[in-house]
Amino acid sequence: MGKKYCFTVNGIERCTDQDKPLLRYLRDDLHLHSVKDGCSEGACGTCTIIVDGKAVKSCVLTTRLAVGHNIITTEGLSEAEKEAFVYAFGAKGSVQCGFCIPGMVMAGKALIDRVPDPTEEQIRTALRGNICRCTGYKKIIEGIQLAAAILRGDEKIEESLEEGDVYGVGKRAFRVDVREKVLGYGEYPDDVEMEGMVYASAVRSKYPRAKVLDIDMSKALELPGVLAVLTAEDVPNNKVGHLQQDWDVMIAKGSVTRCVGDAICLVVAETREILEKAKKLVKISYEELKPVTSIAEAMAENAPKVHSKGNLCQSRHVTRGDAKKAIANSKYVVTQKYTTPFTEHAFLEPECAVAFPYKDGIKVLSTDQGVYDTRHEISIMLGWEPERIVVENKLVGGGFGGKEDVSAQHIAALAALKVQRPVKVVFSRQESINFHPKRHAMEGTFTLGCDENGIFTGLDCEIYFDTGAYASLCGPVLERACTHSVGPYCYQNTDIRGFGYYTNNPPAGAFRGFGVCQSEFALESNINLLAEKVGISPWEIRYRNAIEPGKVLPNGQIADCSTALKETLLAVKDAYESNPGRAGIACAMKNAGVGVGLPDKGRAKLIVHNGKVELYSAASDIGQGCATVFIQMVAETTGLGRNQIINMGANSEIAPDSGTTSGSRQTLITGEAVRMAAADLDRDLKEAGGDLTKLEGKEYFAEFFDPTDKLGADVPNPKSHVAYGFATHVVILDDDGRVKEVYAAHDSGKVVNPIAIQGQIEGGVLMGLGYALTEDFPLKDSVPQAKYGTLGLMRSTQIPDIHAIYVEKEELLPFAYGAKGIGEIATIPTAPAAQGAYYAMDHVLRTKLPMENTYYSKKKETEKSS
Amino acid sequence: MAQVRKKKVAVVQCFGGCGSGVNKAEAHIDGGCAGLQEKYQNDVQGCAWGCLGGGSCVEACRLNAIHINDRGTAEVDWEKCVGCGLCVKACPRNLIRITTPEYPIYPACVSEDPGPQTRKVCQAGCIACGICVKNCPADAIRIENNHAVIDEEKCIACGMCAVKCPRGVVRDYNGIFTVREEQVR
Repeated sequence: MGKKYCFTVNGIERCTDQDKPLLRYLRDDLHLHSVKDGCSEGACGTCTIIVDGKAVKSCVLTTRLAVGHNIITTEGLSEAEKEAFVYAFGAKGSVQCGFCIPGMVMAGKALIDRVPDPTEEQIRTALRGNICRCTGYKKIIEGIQLAAAILRGDEKIEESLEEGDVYGVGKRAFRVDVREKVLGYGEYPDDVEMEGMVYASAVRSKYPRAKVLDIDMSKALELPGVLAVLTAEDVPNNKVGHLQQDWDVMIAKGSVTRCVGDAICLVVAETREILEKAKKLVKISYEELKPVTSIAEAMAENAPKVHSKGNLCQSRHVTRGDAKKAIANSKYVVTQKYTTPFTEHAFLEPECAVAFPYKDGIKVLSTDQGVYDTRHEISIMLGWEPERIVVENKLVGGGFGGKEDVSAQHIAALAALKVQRPVKVVFSRQESINFHPKRHAMEGTFTLGCDENGIFTGLDCEIYFDTGAYASLCGPVLERACTHSVGPYCYQNTDIRGFGYYTNNPPAGAFRGFGVCQSEFALESNINLLAEKVGISPWEIRYRNAIEPGKVLPNGQIADCSTALKETLLAVKDAYESNPGRAGIACAMKNAGVGVGLPDKGRAKLIVHNGKVELYSAASDIGQGCATVFIQMVAETTGLGRNQIINMGANSEIAPDSGTTSGSRQTLITGEAVRMAAADLDRDLKEAGGDLTKLEGKEYFAEFFDPTDKLGADVPNPKSHVAYGFATHVVILDDDGRVKEVYAAHDSGKVVNPIAIQGQIEGGVLMGLGYALTEDFPLKDSVPQAKYGTLGLMRSTQIPDIHAIYVEKEELLPFAYGAKGIGEIATIPTAPAAQGAYYAMDHVLRTKLPMENTYYSKKKETEKSS
Repeated sequence: MAQVRKKKVAVVQCFGGCGSGVNKAEAHIDGGCAGLQEKYQNDVQGCAWGCLGGGSCVEACRLNAIHINDRGTAEVDWEKCVGCGLCVKACPRNLIRITTPEYPIYPACVSEDPGPQTRKVCQAGCIACGICVKNCPADAIRIENNHAVIDEEKCIACGMCAVKCPRGVVRDYNGIFTVREEQVR
């Protein structure tokens, strides 16, 4: 029988008789893995290809509709095009997690083919169907402009940049992962194919809260190709959890579900198609129960208990001095309630893992923020010694905190052990949205006082977090929300109470900012109100109170020599003051490192092998670029070039544990461990007259640990964190209330990679603007209502002009060449600055995020009424 | 960098599914489409909304960018069209809309008749089933007055609505997600 559907892919005629999404054909049949599956709904653009010269989403097109068309994927670019895009995207810093990048390249190429010299406006329009969650689009737009210029012959490729002979700290470093990410051959877990690999997927609860009466899997098991259906009974220990093990791997028959993301059984099948059919054949009967949908309901006296120990998951009381008295004696006092929503991370790569039997245990290929964390959680579930489990990260397509908990890894391991074959678990986009922990929704009441000069006297606040169905990282996130609710200022009276409640909403946990986005939105908004009472400008009140080196932060920690908050304020002063009635301002601080007395250690091992330095450190590069940063640290210390240093990646079998990618810690904590190991290597290298081959086989291990004091430590000036980064953002509106410009000034200590930091800041700012203006996570009786395309993620056509500014001081911390990292803070001050800008414009205090009655919300409102 | 003016184009919101293209094409009558409309009293082949095929837009176009195709409906050539809007004015049924080439996906029906009635008279008429609404990833399409309407502010032109439409009402001008008329023959 002749094949029915024929079309051309990268110059070769291909035929198939299956009618299916072209994305699946390109990935599964032709193994063209540059075509990424980010949503399979047409919303994200990661699967963009070119069809007859037009950029098209391959998940929308089908093999049947593709008949007769000419298709190009990234793999089919000409050599000149490949080199132009690799260089341009590397030189401009367009690549972070990389998952959106091949799609961006294809959208860019389709445009360049039509318009060889595209304007910024044209590029933005061409990218409007492609979401990037890391860069804020600006660097991608610049990358496409440069690629176009190279292809026109107006610009040249500077080959030395990618070669990286000069690759030290502060040098323009071409990220190590640019080429594989731009051309799409770099492997994320979903790109892994193994001999005999099968697929597993969980059947998840139909209701947020319901008793599971029966699980009938007989029909599914009868389907040819179904290998197993596992339930809670098949799990040695049915609990996982990053810190608190309260998360059921599967909800057992007779138990009550806690959210719609809950797994009830796990189906394993030979193919994706059989798997989907089998999942529909599993019959689960429920007794539907009324869910606990809000903090208020969770607190109610007769509230159903989401967990047996009660609905209060975590609480914190952070206090210093006498806030009550200080506020009572203050000249001006402001009390205000604020509400912020859940936020979805919306990383472009949905959760995925491949697990297979390995040695005397199991190996998991993962996409997560800490391979040792994943190993730990799986070892708890299996009741095994951790060493029997090996976890290796493939490329990570974005995390932002949302990949700290296990999601696909542990169920992949469970299935692989059951069927003794490699098993891939990949989440659908909706499954990802329903399952992984969000940014906590907050309700908080903040009271801040000041004297007649605007000098802050004391803060009293109460913070309520909705942590949803599971704790995830509720404890530390709530704690950071509390400890950072004070802001980067100097006053000594605080009384902060924080409570995290379980509900039947999707779980909440870590998200870039780690609780601080919520509490600093409230604090910074209150500061504007105080400034008004005192009669000084929002800039002035911040400058008067700003922390400086040697002064004492509200938690008692003495600000170190690198502290440069005032410098960031000065950097944006002109921008703020030259836009009266249109500008808002906010400051922020964010810890670098976990701190608070925990054993937060960075570890690195260097091995000289085959004349090169191999770097072993299990620190996840989730797109932020730490894998490159570590190589820069070695390069700076030893003078070696990039090509002589290889980062061996995050693999628990070969690389020492260097902690979670969380708390903006990798650049500083792991970076310093790398520097220490490199310093030892350098000593020997100097002795060897600079001849690396003489050191063949030598190993250099270093562990970095700078102790901190635990919360509430009984010392006059407890040191909570190794370091703090500081920032000031200014948001400027146009006359229609659209965000026109953002000035983002950052103190992140020494800038390690000037190419990368710009995009980190811009991406953080855009995420903050989304939080302020467009992103929401509506729930209906605890069930998420949003699809990926309706989360309100900002698109390329919506971005303002973002000016990323970094202030670098002479005085630096003695760790990691003075780098403090930029991870989280870039996204913190934007929302309150935007709120301040609207307040300056119309004097309406918007206490709820996303803000109502703005240019962005009005569009939505008119639609609803029309 | 120089600002490039955004190209605009016209699009005819009817795909001619009443199967009467030949009849329509034969129905030359003085007064073009307006005359046709008068003669048939708003009801050509049972549809009071679709293209009459009388060619008033063709006459109005100064760039020779519109022709009446084999299905008896007007079709715009985006290569030639500059979006001047003369055809829009010439169409007595207000079927022609100005858009930009970035939005090649468009619902080709503006019938306000209830679905069952449209189904009776036209193979390519919108029956307001809402499948496009359900499948749109961006919430950019809605049913209004018994036919699909795209909000271009939200639309990302992914083509999902065109692929999922069971009646081929939502068209892709580029002929990728749906087959373009002139490519069929």
